[in-house]
Amino acid sequence: MVELFRMEDVTFAHNPSLPPVLNGFNLSIEEGSRTAILGANGAGKTTLFYTLTGVYKPQQGQVLFKGSPVEYTKEGLRNLRSDVAVVLQNPDEQIFCSLVEEDVAFGPLNLGVDRDEVEERVTKALRDVRMSEYARRPLQQLSGGQRKRVAIAGALAMHPKILIMDEPTAGLDPQASMEVMEMAERLRLSGVTVMISTHDIDIVYKWASISDVLNSGRIEFSGNSEEFYSDPERVYRCGLLTPTVFNMNLDVSFINGIDPSPYPRNCCEFTAKFSGASRSGTIHCIPAGEEDALAKYEAAIADCRDVDVGVYGSNSRYALRDSRVNFRFDAMDACFTDAVRGRDSVLIYDSVFEPLIKEQAARLKEFGFDTSLEGCR
Amino acid sequence: MEMDELSYSSRMVNWSPLGKLFFVMALLIVGLITDSIVVPLITFTIGVALMAYSTNLKVPLILGLAILEAILIMVLGSGMISIMGDHSAPAIWEGKILWFDIYMTEESFNKAWLIFFRAVAGVTLMLAFACSTPIPHLAQAFRSLHFPSEITELIVLVYRYAFLLLEKFLVMIDAAQCRLGYNGTMTTMRSYGGAMAGTFIFSMELADKSEAALACRNYNGYFPIFRPPKSMSWAWAVVSIGLAVLLYFVGEYTKGWINMVQLFAPLFGW
Repeated sequence: MVELFRMEDVTFAHNPSLPPVLNGFNLSIEEGSRTAILGANGAGKTTLFYTLTGVYKPQQGQVLFKGSPVEYTKEGLRNLRSDVAVVLQNPDEQIFCSLVEEDVAFGPLNLGVDRDEVEERVTKALRDVRMSEYARRPLQQLSGGQRKRVAIAGALAMHPKILIMDEPTAGLDPQASMEVMEMAERLRLSGVTVMISTHDIDIVYKWASISDVLNSGRIEFSGNSEEFYSDPERVYRCGLLTPTVFNMNLDVSFINGIDPSPYPRNCCEFTAKFSGASRSGTIHCIPAGEEDALAKYEAAIADCRDVDVGVYGSNSRYALRDSRVNFRFDAMDACFTDAVRGRDSVLIYDSVFEPLIKEQAARLKEFGFDTSLEGCR
Repeated sequence: MEMDELSYSSRMVNWSPLGKLFFVMALLIVGLITDSIVVPLITFTIGVALMAYSTNLKVPLILGLAILEAILIMVLGSGMISIMGDHSAPAIWEGKILWFDIYMTEESFNKAWLIFFRAVAGVTLMLAFACSTPIPHLAQAFRSLHFPSEITELIVLVYRYAFLLLEKFLVMIDAAQCRLGYNGTMTTMRSYGGAMAGTFIFSMELADKSEAALACRNYNGYFPIFRPPKSMSWAWAVVSIGLAVLLYFVGEYTKGWINMVQLFAPLFGW
């Protein structure tokens, strides 16, 4: 994999008289990775993000972007920031303009993107965060969660190569949190490298391939999450907790006298590991777009009666928004869990997510479960 | 905040802000250069009509109270003018109330009414403009007038952060209320003082953070407008100037038509 960011012995202090926030910090971010940045409050996560985007210049060490040191000139920073977008923890620090659509357009307009293209990007970004109907609303009329979504839309509209999200799910309702993670996956599948910092250990455990754990301005751990969570003392020292699925796996494996490895990361994997199911239910996979999702949904429910329907992806969900579909959030996990329980289900999803379905089926094989997928190419 | 909401929901929000400004200024100026009460009365009527159209006859109570307060202040101001007449002219009312010497002449009485109507007309017109023009639109109008960009960008910045700080202040007030922060006069004063100091400190913190956030979004000293408001057409100029000229001649023609002393004479026995 190509290395996008590299931080070498970076030291940064907001004030020379204060202890450094980043102290001899080393980090490597690879292209296409799902990186989670974990750490307690005050560990230096936000400072790390500002250092990566060139807002803070390290007093010692260097930051390399695509193999070259970051240039702290106007041109150099402009080039860096056209590739790297940040969603800040507090949306009020990020959103600026008076109207929702104006704010989403702010970044692309600053980059000199053509107005028609900006229009398209704004529409798409607002739809992805379920804020289309608020496009012409003043920002001060929105709630905290809605402002958060606008901030995310503002970053999405910049079409970045790297998206850094600082606590993207904080202050959002559970469905919106799921949508954010779904969006992160969509971006990753389209070639964007996504970095997420969060305190929501359960969500990030499910999602991340790499975990970088910060403690007092240094990298405490970098690598596979299970390795980190298997050391409770270290987890405690870093001010974190172990994810629920991880804990449950340890306990149930102990009770059953089996090896905790392989480690399930979500509900369907956990169920597959411990249910001992013999027969897989079928997942009727229906890749859809915004135009044909409704027709495909109607055909699917006509063919498969009395099955649960899951919809995954903002385009499909948008297309089915008015059709009173009783679908489930986190639909992929839900449909795979149904399959493990021997029940059939219909999964309508944006076609971009097809690799994710195959990935999940492949992971279930590690737990000795062969999923019956119908319609997945 | 109500004003901001009102301006965004106005039926006139898509009209050219520069055109509206030009129209309002033209009417204000003509109201000032004519000595007839008829002209301010007409401009006042235009202002009320515009405000009614703009708000769809749904003027919020707080705005109504603000207008009434402004009128009250103008009544007091005009009242003062009317009772401080020139002592060389005959008085229509003379006396003393507490420390005030009252000397009202026909001229001072008419002048006070003229000033009152001018002020009320001016406030009404400006309110009609303000409740239909969001600040970013006004800033865009200033940009098209080639105002110094520092001033224009500052207007946008102040506008944005004023709301955030106001919100923060209100949150602090509510928080103080939850902790019995208004139990007694001294405690109330201390709570308000604390909230003000807190807001000030927050404003500095916010400035630092926002600067970094704007840098992340490639801000380079100019706030681009996604949907620029309409620019001023010739029609605006023609209508504004035409109406101003017409009102000027109406003013000249109707000078002295309305004598407020004669109107009030039966009431006060002058």
